[in-house]
Amino acid sequence: MWEFVGEGFVKFLPSKVTRKEYVRKLKGFWEDYRRNKIGLAGIAILTMFILVALLAPWLTPYHPTQSKYLAESLAMPEWVTVLPQFSDVPPTTEILAHWNIKNGSDFVNVELGNETIIRYSGIGIQKTDIYLQSTFLYSYISPKTFKYKFEWSSFSCYQAGYSLELILVTPIEQSFSLYDSYYGLKVKKSQDVPLLRKETGSTRRVTADSWDLRLWDRLGWHRTNYPTLAGQVFNNKGEYHILLHVVFETLTSDATCEVIVKEPQIIIPGLVHGLLGTDQYGGDLFCQLVYSTQASLMIGLFAALSTTVIGLIVGVVSGYAGGAIDESFMRIADVALCIPMLPILITLAVLFGASMYLIVLLLSILWWPGIARIIRSRVLSLRETAFVVSARAVGASRSHIMLKHIIPNVLPLAFAALVLTVPSAIVTEAVISFIGITPLAVPTWGKMLHYAFHAGAFQRFAWWWIVPPGLALMILALAFVFIGHAVDEIVNPKLRRRR
Amino acid sequence: MKGYLARKIIYALIILYVISSLNFVIFQVISPLDPAKAFARNPMLSVEHQEAMARLWGLDQPLSARYVKYIINMFTLNFGISFMKQTPVIEEMLPRLRNTLLLLSLSLTFNVLVGVSIGVLAASRRGTKVDAFAMSAGLFTWGAPIFYIQLLFVFFLANPSFLMLFPRGGMTTLPPPEDPITYISDLAYHMVLPLITLVVAQFGWWAMYIRNMMLDALTEDYVNTARAVGISERKVLFGHAFRATLPPFVTMVVLIIPTLLMGGILTEYIFSWPGTGQWFLYSVENGDYPAAQALLFLYAVLMVGGNFAVDLIYGFLDPRIRVGVRR
Repeated sequence: MWEFVGEGFVKFLPSKVTRKEYVRKLKGFWEDYRRNKIGLAGIAILTMFILVALLAPWLTPYHPTQSKYLAESLAMPEWVTVLPQFSDVPPTTEILAHWNIKNGSDFVNVELGNETIIRYSGIGIQKTDIYLQSTFLYSYISPKTFKYKFEWSSFSCYQAGYSLELILVTPIEQSFSLYDSYYGLKVKKSQDVPLLRKETGSTRRVTADSWDLRLWDRLGWHRTNYPTLAGQVFNNKGEYHILLHVVFETLTSDATCEVIVKEPQIIIPGLVHGLLGTDQYGGDLFCQLVYSTQASLMIGLFAALSTTVIGLIVGVVSGYAGGAIDESFMRIADVALCIPMLPILITLAVLFGASMYLIVLLLSILWWPGIARIIRSRVLSLRETAFVVSARAVGASRSHIMLKHIIPNVLPLAFAALVLTVPSAIVTEAVISFIGITPLAVPTWGKMLHYAFHAGAFQRFAWWWIVPPGLALMILALAFVFIGHAVDEIVNPKLRRRR
Repeated sequence: MKGYLARKIIYALIILYVISSLNFVIFQVISPLDPAKAFARNPMLSVEHQEAMARLWGLDQPLSARYVKYIINMFTLNFGISFMKQTPVIEEMLPRLRNTLLLLSLSLTFNVLVGVSIGVLAASRRGTKVDAFAMSAGLFTWGAPIFYIQLLFVFFLANPSFLMLFPRGGMTTLPPPEDPITYISDLAYHMVLPLITLVVAQFGWWAMYIRNMMLDALTEDYVNTARAVGISERKVLFGHAFRATLPPFVTMVVLIIPTLLMGGILTEYIFSWPGTGQWFLYSVENGDYPAAQALLFLYAVLMVGGNFAVDLIYGFLDPRIRVGVRR
């Protein structure tokens, strides 16, 4: 019982003794804790969440703020395709079609490759058609949208004109003219106008998606007649062909022309995506879920830590010092306990913009009184115990007694309070984000729920959007509750099970 | 006793004063808003109303004078005119407070009923499945965010694209039915989902609380005596053990009311319940600061009032506390 020896002697005691004492106490604590199954489960879950937070960049290839338009908005999780009714729902498909020659010509030399080079050398006034074709298989139900990308350029066209047309042919031999070098996307092709084009050297990048109004006009459709263009085009499963129709025309006797076309790319945003599907912008929800772990853990831990530190200091000082100090601290605590926390937090978030710091700061300002009161009542009884009284009797200073005798004895209590504050902080952050008047910059589960609530998860019954964030929130909060409950049972003898 | 009461009332008023000063600081001192714009010059109000509001808050006067006016206005319930409704805030506040209290009191009643019965049962059958259920429900409520449970219920049971068993939100169908019986049944129908979710999300806490207190009470000698005398177990449980736990239990009920009221902000938001919480969010979001400020004051009043009521109940139930304070 080293507490009984005088202060002067304590100073000369090797610090190892106290350290050993701590280690022994910690070991004893762990022995108690190990028997608590709920507590162990809590630690296991918490470890898992910490790992997820740390390993987030390796768990998902996307970044939460930059991943958009990865698939169709509100795409289902990819694993639903194991169910028979969803087995042919398309994932995000990017088709890079290789060109093959369908109809060649004697005047044209075609070099197939990544960049297919079409060389024309014509003699006399004539017109030459060639067709390149590429084939891909589409074996899913019709998508909502599609995009295509196509790039071409022409060089050294001397005395020659040319034109290109891109045609998509469906398995039932319907053909859709997607692009035409002369008219671009603008108008429907009419046979009366010549198809020639004489400029050289320019590279044209063509991208268009199925919502492009010009494309609808080009096909002579009107939006009211057809619900979706993509639905019309990809209505059948089977082999689709992309045809490239190139026309060369010699203007005078000796003409050369070189047209380079890249492989056409057709992108079909998936109706299923990843582990947890997508949000309204086609952003990856699994990625958001994983990254949100970081914010929740940080806010929970920091808020709880600062709350507990303030509560511990105030509780110890006011409990041990007593008198006017105690009185003033407890009156401040009375006021702080009466502050309507959530409304104030919402108001400040609106006035100043919500941030993690604001939430942590406010929670610690508003929540310390609860912990301070618990600690204070323990200190009140501790200050009358034999070892404190004796330390006082041999002339130990106030700060020494508080630091060396009182704080070590209230630490377990503070630790239990700390662990039990974390879930409340995590849930409060989620509430603020869920109300979402001013969203936090970082992804959080509350924010995900906010968008799910407001941006259409209900109308489309997007369970993959609304269930996981809250579930993660709940499980993490419960992990802390489990740990806190187990610690509380050990450090609060009153709660100990009567056997 | 009179002295005790007076002291407590004065103390509560001082706390209320401090918290409303805090509100003043938030809205008119540190806030980035221009007070004139935030409290008077709103295009929705007529010019006379704008002038009246500027006079009410003393917006052309220095900060100290504004502060005095603010405190006087708050404590005389003179909250000014709401921008959105263009009517005095107090006129809108009272019916909304009634709606909030209706939902709150019913949910509290159901929670306490369910919680007490499960808690008492768990304590009397310690170590059985009922006990384990009460304990796990208790732990669950500690961690489960209420708004998430409510979201799930709405999502699965009041969603036209899945199951539309209950109305999506609101207090009655619009316009409300005239016939009183239809009105009440319509109201009840709209209240089912908020009430169920509030009970599901909270009863576990009550059950665990009652169970722990009952376990303490059941070890007392008078319980053994009662059992030995041959009083039925049911009577021992409710008549002796539970009765002994009543004072702290009642305290807890009173203490939790302000917390529930603030938790109600989210409930009202999710279920579009026309109460104070929904109005608070609505006014904060739309810059209706006279209303927001008044509601913050209302919340402060309720918090302080709740704590004051607890002090009183404690004082009545446990004379030692009164003596202790007097010393």
